[in-house]
Amino acid sequence: MRLSAFKLRALSLASMAGVLLVACGSSSGQSQNLASDQTLKFPYFQEFGTLDPGILDAEVDSEIAQNIFNGLTRFDNNLTIQPDIATDVPTASNGGVSADGLTYTFHLRKDVTFSNGDKVTSKDVLYSWNRAAALQGPYASNLGAITGFSAVAKATKALGLKPKKPGATATAAEQQAFVDASKNFQTQVETKLAANDPKFAMSGLTAPDDYTVVAKLDSPAGWFLSAITLESTTGMVVDQKVIQTNARDWWTKPETLIGTGAFKMTAHTAKQSADFAPVANWWGSPKPVLTKIHMDIHDPSSQSTDIAAWEQGQYDLVGYGGNSQLPKADILRIQKDPTEKNYLTLQPKVRTTWVTFNVNSSHAAKGPFTDQSGTASTLTINGDAQGINLAATSGNAHDLRLAFALAVDKDKLANVVCANVTCSPAKGGLITKGLLGYWGDDKDPLGKFDASQAKTLLQKADPNGTLVKGLKYSYNTGAPNDDVATFLQDQWQTNLGVKVDLDPHPDASAFISDRLGGKYVMSRDGWQADYNNPQDWYDNLWGAQAETSTSNSSGYDSKTYDATLAKADALPLDQALPEYQKLQQELSDNVVYIPLYYSVGQFLFKPYLKGAGSNNFFDHYWNEISILQH
Amino acid sequence: MLTRGTLAYIGQRLVLIAFTVVAVSSLVFIGIHQLPGNAFISERVRGDRLELVLHEYGLDRPLLEQYQEWATNAFLHGDLGQSFVNRGLDITPLVLRELTVSAEVGGTALLITIGLGMLLGVVAAIKQNTWIDYLLTTTSVIGYSMPSFVLASFLLLFFAVFLASATGGAFYYPLHWSGTYGDPIQLSIPAFALGFPYASIVARLTRASMLEVIRQDYIRTARAKGLRERVVIIRHGLRNALIPVTTILGPLVIGIITGSVVIESIFTIPGLGKEFVGSILRHDYNITIGVFTMYALMVGVANLVVDISYTAIDPRIRY
Repeated sequence: MRLSAFKLRALSLASMAGVLLVACGSSSGQSQNLASDQTLKFPYFQEFGTLDPGILDAEVDSEIAQNIFNGLTRFDNNLTIQPDIATDVPTASNGGVSADGLTYTFHLRKDVTFSNGDKVTSKDVLYSWNRAAALQGPYASNLGAITGFSAVAKATKALGLKPKKPGATATAAEQQAFVDASKNFQTQVETKLAANDPKFAMSGLTAPDDYTVVAKLDSPAGWFLSAITLESTTGMVVDQKVIQTNARDWWTKPETLIGTGAFKMTAHTAKQSADFAPVANWWGSPKPVLTKIHMDIHDPSSQSTDIAAWEQGQYDLVGYGGNSQLPKADILRIQKDPTEKNYLTLQPKVRTTWVTFNVNSSHAAKGPFTDQSGTASTLTINGDAQGINLAATSGNAHDLRLAFALAVDKDKLANVVCANVTCSPAKGGLITKGLLGYWGDDKDPLGKFDASQAKTLLQKADPNGTLVKGLKYSYNTGAPNDDVATFLQDQWQTNLGVKVDLDPHPDASAFISDRLGGKYVMSRDGWQADYNNPQDWYDNLWGAQAETSTSNSSGYDSKTYDATLAKADALPLDQALPEYQKLQQELSDNVVYIPLYYSVGQFLFKPYLKGAGSNNFFDHYWNEISILQH
Repeated sequence: MLTRGTLAYIGQRLVLIAFTVVAVSSLVFIGIHQLPGNAFISERVRGDRLELVLHEYGLDRPLLEQYQEWATNAFLHGDLGQSFVNRGLDITPLVLRELTVSAEVGGTALLITIGLGMLLGVVAAIKQNTWIDYLLTTTSVIGYSMPSFVLASFLLLFFAVFLASATGGAFYYPLHWSGTYGDPIQLSIPAFALGFPYASIVARLTRASMLEVIRQDYIRTARAKGLRERVVIIRHGLRNALIPVTTILGPLVIGIITGSVVIESIFTIPGLGKEFVGSILRHDYNITIGVFTMYALMVGVANLVVDISYTAIDPRIRY
């Protein structure tokens, strides 16, 4: 049978349609793999402290807020800065950063809207950042490099927040003013912002047009981009129209918790549950697949029960929401289960724990470790020359600190205290592995264990044992701090023959306050990085700047440290890294700390979850997750 | 029926309860503000920033001023303030909701305490010195020897973990308290864990009381009249045996209320008990005071209800 030209064309078209159908079939096949119910359920172990980016402080809140708010830039899952509301990440090469490093120009996307439909323009960015500066919340200093930040901070103080306290001579009006100022702080800030009061606008922050933001800095700051990128905090964009309706508590209600993120809150019963849903026609990508997020809000004491509920299939995952430190016994049990162990993810996180020595004789604690400087020499540890300069003591204090550091077996600590699951030995420097500024595996001489060397150093520094008599190790109680303290006590007793008394503090806030106030001779210390930049560590914990802001527990400071830090902070990140490395070297040389362990997060994911996970800093965004058929 | 004397008694007790609630909350307010540390201090909230926050919450004012404001709001307006840790969280609706959850669990536990305790006690008494008596007596001894949190852990392990594992996930106790109130299945295990130790006490007491009562002349008379044994036991024996049991209901109710602190945490029940310890550890003073106030109210009202119930059970008691 012969086919007519028409039939042939028809056949060709049919064949092409068939090919297209097959091609389409593959994508529709993928969607068929998705479960019909795209509700993600997980327990969350703390009620929201606040979801207001201007004052947000806790990781547990940040993990939620990162799905509701966006900044101009964002960290991707590899911790690289990517454009978010901005079209590009400003660099010197694309003209976004001026040659002198003082001016950053951000071009905004024109399709960004809040979840209530309001369009996002440069005015929203200016409002958000000025508001965050005025509120002077925990992360306000992330904007501290912008010209005019200090002036806004001063204006905040002058707002009547610190009036003369009413005493016996205060008039009734003065007393009332004091009480009002107590209650209406955020409302007052909002009023000033609404009135465009120049005292509450950073002079270096301008908007040449609706979609361009220019930030001028006081001095070059290579860390500026990292700081404003920190998810959920002061760099995020918020909606002035909504906040004006309830300056203090706008974020507590689903109808006024408005952001630019992929998800919005739909229901919230405090200390019970919260629900979130995707924002329709969200501007970003990837588009959300989940149709609902349901969180049961419990507390840390419920973790074991919630893990059992996860095993029953009541939850899809456990560990999200900044709660990845799960009970060790449960994790070890799951590791032994041939099926469940496949669903366990151990993810190195960003907290390092160490012992801090008080090395500053002007600190209240005094003690035998208060001598931080010395001349450089080479020390042989475990019979191997490290090739690293360790400062020799000008007195006994340095040797004493080194003796205590080398007497601790960090591998054994991770095994005994963490069962090599909840932490890993800190032998590669202060900054955790996976972050910029990590020194390198086994690079830190203080991470070594050498009992005989430790004993020799102790004999040299304190032959009569008078210096170490009555020595105390101070720490805040709770897991794993109690176990760590007992372990350290045993190590110093066994390897040095020194009896160190334990000084437990049940109240963590009082302990932190006293530690930062330099009241302990030797104490538990640590840092959880805020963003992927070494500046976050070296600015906040050591040196003159930290000492001024009373966050320098050890009291360590030197001219070299301050000069190197100032130089590093001003440089672009790639050039700054070698300088920050010098700071690590200096702190190690002078034995300011005993490295203990790096934290490891534990997550339980059902196998049907696609895209769920966590990096060193934060959980994967909800819009990356989908639920497969199961 | 409520007589004038009973109403006057109730009125007196209500005044006493009000006084107790005010005294307890005031003492807690003063006491808890003496604790070291506060809810706000962290590595990033110190110095000027801490001062700002303390000022915002009025915590830098003299304690007496703070108390005056708190007491005015609490006792005149029923406003217990806001949480320090969870900003913007009003405490009064929170603790009232949690109170109803705890009441639901506690009420179920109380039913188990009374119902199961009496049943075991009566059966043990009428089957005295049989294997049933020995079994029930032994069970009761185990019950009141075992703290509720230990029992809760065993029950949780068995019904939620082992049963799920043994049946391949077909049957198990669901460890998922979703929403405010639990369904009967969700309530069953925690309420049993909370109530069973007290049910054991009630069983022991009921058994002893029943053994004494069923030897009384009027029971013999009832039997001689040809009444059925069930009627003799329930109508004539049990009602009189209940009088000593009723007298311990007050302490039992308080035990159940305080026991809920642990049980709610183990079963992740969003009640007042779970709030109790957490708020102290978090320095969330306003919540701690609110929870204490609610507990004082609960204990006072529960004791009053128990005292009133005496008159219903024993007509000889009059107020």
